[in-house]
Amino acid sequence: MYNFLQRLSGVTSFAMSTLMALVVVIALTTPFIPSSPTFDMSLHNVQTTTGRAMDPYDRMSRKAEYARLTFDLDADLSTMFNWNTKLLFAYVTVDYTTPGFETNRAVIWDRIIKNKRQAKLKLRKHHNKYALRNYPLTFEDVEGANLTLHINPVPYLGIMYDKPVVSIPFTIPRPVKPAAGSA
Amino acid sequence: MDFLKPVFEGGRIDFAGQRLAANLSSAMVVGSATAALLAGLATEKLSLCFYTYICGVVLTFAVVLLPWPPYNRSPVVWLSRKAPASADNLSKSQKTLVEDVSDDSDSE
Repeated sequence: MYNFLQRLSGVTSFAMSTLMALVVVIALTTPFIPSSPTFDMSLHNVQTTTGRAMDPYDRMSRKAEYARLTFDLDADLSTMFNWNTKLLFAYVTVDYTTPGFETNRAVIWDRIIKNKRQAKLKLRKHHNKYALRNYPLTFEDVEGANLTLHINPVPYLGIMYDKPVVSIPFTIPRPVKPAAGSA
Repeated sequence: MDFLKPVFEGGRIDFAGQRLAANLSSAMVVGSATAALLAGLATEKLSLCFYTYICGVVLTFAVVLLPWPPYNRSPVVWLSRKAPASADNLSKSQKTLVEDVSDDSDSE
């Protein structure tokens, strides 16, 4: 500390270490900030049909059973925005169990919420954004399914985690075969 | 490169001043970190927290880095050349060696 450069070096390295400690303190205290979001989700309708993967009129592409569902969602997530929240990632999944595999999950809707104004969700009779199809191309062995809303807060400093909030059990029906067979 | 010599070798302060500068720099950096945390929590803005911290660190630089007069209040008092402790027993060549290597010529 006898020299200008010595003092510059010492104070700068201490300031960097203190900055790291400040960042760690912010990251560790973020999960304890209280938040009180409200959720309300309901399922309207589930329909299943057989369709083709790429082009409905291309008979060479494979056929699979696709389920389409409509849901309502009312949510107020604005209290989940604290000083360390960069964005909220909300997504709706369908989870079910099949005899061969314990966990099957398909994300059918998601949205990135960037500020408090966008955090008030009001969805009425929303279709699923992504296709709901089982890996063996049929819903034959699917016993029961759950429609679950998850929220992922993505912080500026710290660890992101998943928070499943609302879950609705339902069943996925099998597609109704038309009388005159042209599938 | 002689114009860099004041940068690399300048800014000397005495020992009491070094202790004061070291304690003051630690206290001011930690203080600006806590002030930054409180300012950010109060205004709910992460950017304000880090701007406050950077301003605090720049203020610490201004206070600690330059050789202000309070850091030079008690300079080291060297003994005069004519009163050595036990130089009577040293040979002439060793006495010359001891007297010539002191560098207090550029600390005045």
